[in-house]
Amino acid sequence: MNMERIKPHLPWLTLVLLVALVGIANPTFLNPAGLIVLASDVVPLFIMALGMTFAIYIGGIDLSVQQLANLVTVIATVFLMSFGIWVAVLCILAGALFGAVSGFVTTRLYVPSFVSTLALGFVALSGAKWLSGQRALHMDAEQRDATFGWVFERTLGIPNELLIAAGLLAACWFLQSRTTFGRSLKAVGAGELAAVASGLNVDRIKILAFALCGALAAISGLIFSVKLSGGDANLANGFLLLAIVAVLVGGTPLTGGVGGVLNTAIGTLIVMVIRAAMVYLEVDATQQQMIFGIVLIIAIALTIDRSKLKIVK
Amino acid sequence: MQGFMTRETLLKWAPVLVLIFLLLVFPIFEMTNAWAKGKEHIYLLDSRFLSIRNLARIAISATPALMVALGVTFIILMGSIDLSMEGTVSVTAVGFAYAFLWLGGTLASWAWLAIPLALLIGAAIGLINGIVHVKLRIPSFMASLAMGFVGTGFALLLTGGDRVRVEDPLFRALLTVRWMNFPIMVYVAAAFLLLMWFIQTRTKLGRNFYAVGGGEELAAASGLNVNRVRILGFMLAGICYGMGGLMAVGKIGIAETVTGANFMFISITAVVVGGTALWGGIGGVLNTLVGVLIVFVINNGMVVIGLPSYIQSAVLGILVIVAVVLSTDRRSVSFVK
Repeated sequence: MNMERIKPHLPWLTLVLLVALVGIANPTFLNPAGLIVLASDVVPLFIMALGMTFAIYIGGIDLSVQQLANLVTVIATVFLMSFGIWVAVLCILAGALFGAVSGFVTTRLYVPSFVSTLALGFVALSGAKWLSGQRALHMDAEQRDATFGWVFERTLGIPNELLIAAGLLAACWFLQSRTTFGRSLKAVGAGELAAVASGLNVDRIKILAFALCGALAAISGLIFSVKLSGGDANLANGFLLLAIVAVLVGGTPLTGGVGGVLNTAIGTLIVMVIRAAMVYLEVDATQQQMIFGIVLIIAIALTIDRSKLKIVK
Repeated sequence: MQGFMTRETLLKWAPVLVLIFLLLVFPIFEMTNAWAKGKEHIYLLDSRFLSIRNLARIAISATPALMVALGVTFIILMGSIDLSMEGTVSVTAVGFAYAFLWLGGTLASWAWLAIPLALLIGAAIGLINGIVHVKLRIPSFMASLAMGFVGTGFALLLTGGDRVRVEDPLFRALLTVRWMNFPIMVYVAAAFLLLMWFIQTRTKLGRNFYAVGGGEELAAASGLNVNRVRILGFMLAGICYGMGGLMAVGKIGIAETVTGANFMFISITAVVVGGTALWGGIGGVLNTLVGVLIVFVINNGMVVIGLPSYIQSAVLGILVIVAVVLSTDRRSVSFVK
């Protein structure tokens, strides 16, 4: 067995190792019902990370997702009454539009995505503050249950939330691995100049990738909003860095072209296990953040595939 | 002979032009606001925005962020990125405050040792950061992001969530004593900026940052120990974050876990707005000074002219894009990531 063949499998091996370690230390962690609850709690983060994967896969990054999700929680809360279930469409369109504008600014105005998405995140934050009147808004409980109550029900014992996440993962995987668009994403990520030279419309591909990222961030915000039954310009704060971490730990490098959405699913689970483990192992609250960082360095050191990185920037 | 106003000179000075434009445009809004209320107002002369008092206010609020942004400038010059500043600033601030109180609690005693100690802590964190990045071959984005979590976590562990107050009048003189209308901390920041400018332009290390950022393979092939330059860069950045932590404590007199919060995006934004390219090799600490001033002038100006607070972040976002667009040479860039 040589090292080259093991490398692509390192992320899920790390996940199994982590689960085993925590399970040995505290067997109650392995209780399936508990694991399902843990997994459904992490669904909004996962969907956001799923979108982030596309931005990173093409070699960019999207720092606006957290503010987009914030904006969407407000949009969903404000327009739930008048739009009903169609508010979901409105939210996703808003997310896709913001993402597309990020893509446009990046490709046509030559502003690096790190800056353009950060700046558009500020714009989304303003939108959220304006629309919410800078207050925490609450959904009408009856309307919420009538429209989105099904999200929290279970089908065959599995929370519908998890099924939504699985459905989105399947759709994104299909898009990434089985369509021309997916292949061209890989081409752009692996070598943008070569992609241009072979006649791909790189600008359009990138704009679409950012739009996709925005749309998924919106779905994540929508689920978060329905979960907490409200909206507020700061509701999703703290998600951005975790979403990036989930993508990177899963094995999609910032340079793009390698990895993908399945890696992100594993990465999100790794983040979830590390966080949950600290609760199960009764780590003191003041130590959790530090231990999270240290375990993260170890996890990243274990999972990233360096063979394709000539220079480590 | 080349003309004075070539494309290159224009692009080079674009951030300065943006800054001057902003300094002149906010008073126009002030003037029209005053006219709308039927008051007399002479452009620039009656401006509250351009008053010494307000300029001092801008300088004070920009000082800690400038220290942090100077540090990350060197990292970005090398084509890397450092996201550990929030954690490092918190740890140095809290470490300084505890050491300061333990050693006597006033600058007139041995407690002054807490100041070099804070810079040492910053350098040590930078060293770990650099070693994790270089030796474990983890891209700086991830290594420093994780180190940032460790830093914030360590600060939380030290304080247990409490605030540490530093009330020594001698240390607080950084803010309270003014020379020519500006508090001492502004002069300290200017001296530190000068030192960083010296390192950037007059030392081998400074030139090496550009060599690594301009073409790492070439630099390595010409015999440069790139890994050593990288680790030294992260240590230097750590020292800058330590200065940022000291200034932040000097400004509000409190050290806590959230002292470092919000420094990450503001400092990187400022560096980029100042004209230092994220792909490395272009820019420098003077660009960063201009960038930091642009960001804080915008923030302050919007408050002075009375823009509703919810619009302010959007205006900042759009102006950031405009500033970057103006200072990017589209001819020399084939694509951006």
